[in-house]
Amino acid sequence: MAAEVVAGAAVARPQIRVERVAKSYSGRTVVDVDELVLGDQPIEGLIGPNGAGKTTLMRMIVHAVPLDRGTITLRSPTQPELLLSSMPTEQIARHGVVKSNQLITDFERLTILDSLLFAVTESAYEAPHQLFSERTVFERHRDEIERLLDYFGLTDRTAFAMSAGEKKLLDIIRCLILRPRFLLLDEPTAGLPDDVTEKVMDALRELAAAGSTVVIVAHDLNVIWKLCDEVVFMAEGKALLRGDPQSIREHRTIVEKYLGEGHV
Amino acid sequence: MDLVTQSVVIGLTQNAPLVLAAIGFYLLYRLTGLINVAYAETVTLGAYFGMWANTTFDLDFFTVLLPAGAMAGLVSVATYLLVFRPAKQRNVGMLEVIIISFGLSIFLRHALQFVFGYPVRFFDVPPPDTIQVLGIGVSSFRLLALASVGVLALLLYWFIQRSRLGLQIRALASDESLAQASGIRPLAVTVLIWFLAGLAGGLAGAFYGVGSSVAPLLGWRLFLPILLVVLVGRAWGLGGVITVGVATGVLLAGATLQFGQVLYAQLLIILIFLAILKMRARRLAAVEGVAV
Amino acid sequence: MNLAWLDAFLIFGLFEVMMFIGLALLLHLQLGLARIANFGVVGFWGLGMYAFGVSYVRVDWPFGDPWQFLVCALIATLVAGLAGLVVGWYIADLDIDGALVGTLGFATAVAILATTEQELTGGALGMGGLGFPYDIGTVKENELVWLLVTTGVVGAILFFVWQVHRSPFGRLLIAVGANEPLARSLGKRTFRAKIGLFVVASAAMGLLGALFGVMVRFLDIGNLGVEITLAAMVGLVLGGTARVWGAVVGIVLTVGLFDIVVQSYLPLPREWYTQALPVLREAAFGLALMVVLLFRPLGVLGEMRRDRLMKKLHGR
Repeated sequence: MAAEVVAGAAVARPQIRVERVAKSYSGRTVVDVDELVLGDQPIEGLIGPNGAGKTTLMRMIVHAVPLDRGTITLRSPTQPELLLSSMPTEQIARHGVVKSNQLITDFERLTILDSLLFAVTESAYEAPHQLFSERTVFERHRDEIERLLDYFGLTDRTAFAMSAGEKKLLDIIRCLILRPRFLLLDEPTAGLPDDVTEKVMDALRELAAAGSTVVIVAHDLNVIWKLCDEVVFMAEGKALLRGDPQSIREHRTIVEKYLGEGHV
Repeated sequence: MDLVTQSVVIGLTQNAPLVLAAIGFYLLYRLTGLINVAYAETVTLGAYFGMWANTTFDLDFFTVLLPAGAMAGLVSVATYLLVFRPAKQRNVGMLEVIIISFGLSIFLRHALQFVFGYPVRFFDVPPPDTIQVLGIGVSSFRLLALASVGVLALLLYWFIQRSRLGLQIRALASDESLAQASGIRPLAVTVLIWFLAGLAGGLAGAFYGVGSSVAPLLGWRLFLPILLVVLVGRAWGLGGVITVGVATGVLLAGATLQFGQVLYAQLLIILIFLAILKMRARRLAAVEGVAV
Repeated sequence: MNLAWLDAFLIFGLFEVMMFIGLALLLHLQLGLARIANFGVVGFWGLGMYAFGVSYVRVDWPFGDPWQFLVCALIATLVAGLAGLVVGWYIADLDIDGALVGTLGFATAVAILATTEQELTGGALGMGGLGFPYDIGTVKENELVWLLVTTGVVGAILFFVWQVHRSPFGRLLIAVGANEPLARSLGKRTFRAKIGLFVVASAAMGLLGALFGVMVRFLDIGNLGVEITLAAMVGLVLGGTARVWGAVVGIVLTVGLFDIVVQSYLPLPREWYTQALPVLREAAFGLALMVVLLFRPLGVLGEMRRDRLMKKLHGR
């Protein structure tokens, strides 16, 4: 089983290594992963039935949820290995590992433009004495903000994100604009209309082509099959199988575990 | 006689009411999850009601004690029905409710002066006998206060932890919708808790008032100690609050004896408890994490 | 009433309005933007006042006013800012309960120390010896000048707060107040932001305390009660926690109403002024705080209109 899941060839793009990681809630084991490497391929998918531990594992990677045991490390070609499981969430994000949110979440009082500016502003400008740097920050990032907003059709950038779909989309755009080295997405297209979903997928392909690694958790298997170069299958907290989308679809165990869901 | 004996005797007899007030505050905190700043005023009002009944009708302290507490309990229920319940129904956020309770505290503290007058008032009671406990002279009043507080604390503890009604209260505190589904009537039980909390606070106030004076700031001066005792002690439930309350009383007495200045003792307690809360928060953050 | 009596109260009333506008503006950054419950405003203000007073009176400076004042005012600002650093660090990773008990505990500690360290502070008896760093004539004329000085300082605070709204720092504070976990997930150092905010706001509160100390020319521990925090809070809440001008509107409607209109212009029985009026003032403030937060939580001026601001700053 271990060989099926670990893989991990030459480290050309950022990889996250999950080792002997476990998490239990009230005696119930939610995550129990012996060894898993994410980042072999540009875009990887994480699938499995409800309660498989996919979301919890993602949250553990960005340390939004503490680990009961184990380590999670980030390896990239240009830098020494980083022990993510010892860092707070914001430090992990600053090292380029960013996760979107499964639940609808937003900055209630900030406009769409605010949200994006907030994401990309360098922390040096966010100090009490930097009172007059708004213009500078805007000019620096104007092009990329406008490009993204135009691409996704969010024309009124000084408005607030109102609907759940808009907030979800904004959450993804915020992650995209950071151009993270490692992007984790939890149900990124859930609730989005088809045309927007297509655009999100194209944007992810572009990000991956630029050298980042993208990992997606999704129940919408159409997105997984279309987008991912490799798929990891989880159930009952464990990473059980990995392979290209075709072989995963045809795998006997998957068919059994997904019995009744009718997605295959 | 050594510092420890003195601290224990003086601490228990002088600061027993603090434990009672802490229990009442804890009841509310456990139920609502909120810090109710106006709780301090139920303590003050207990002292004022007791003093008023004592001086107006010429009744002795122990006759007015329970009525004073009961009236403070009724005020507590009134604040729930008029302020906190409407706040909850309007979905007012936690931060705003705390500020509302702050405003209520200020309002009560000053409105009562239009009823009871501005000057400091006193209970009209005969001077108590001095009884020797372990070589230390203690007023009989304080001893009776300690005994009463002990009995009341145990009664409340038993009631909350063991009785059927107490079980309902704890169920309601944990999960209101689930409790309601189990047949518990939230409004009745909630009103009962607010009454008991006010009762505990009012009784504490009466004990404090008879021992010193009855002034508008009586409760507010106790608010920070009460809050610290509850925030630190709540990790171990009601028993923890009682234990930490008793320990605080003893520590305050001991520190006052050591420094010769009660204010230094208070400062020490504040710093120690703030440090404990910070360390606990850090440990908790390491364990629980921040879910996004 | 003769006019001379009126003037003195009016000058002091206007001074108080100015000072509380300053405090409420700073509280607006903490409570309105970052949504941190600072129940210890009087602690920072009082610490500044006492640091100023003690250094002014107890230290034998080799130079006189105005340098003595400026140096001591600087000390007051730095000491208060340092306290802001400590308190800000303390509450940075705590929840609402922690912020409440931390700030309240701090204010209580300041009041305790001001009382116990009586060789320094005069303790319960108070301490005189403070004075205006100039003397242009009568007391009233000096006070009027001081009112103008304070207005200048508060004007600077208003400009700072106004500009914060238009800066990346302000956006960070709003994000922290709106959804701190989300801000952290984007890599933002939210704890550092809160500490920075506290350092700056506390330093300014301390300076306002020093200005008050000079105005009344006396240190009095009676000033270290919760009334200062209450007035700043109710003014901010009534005017509008989310808006820059909320502090101004609210303080005028509360402190302005009581300390100027009621104090000087309503024909009330003389004996009301000593006790009934101060008690009524506090009761009214408490009631106002409750009523506003129950029925119109965003106060007179309502919600922050970020969309209008962003359109103005970066509109197409």
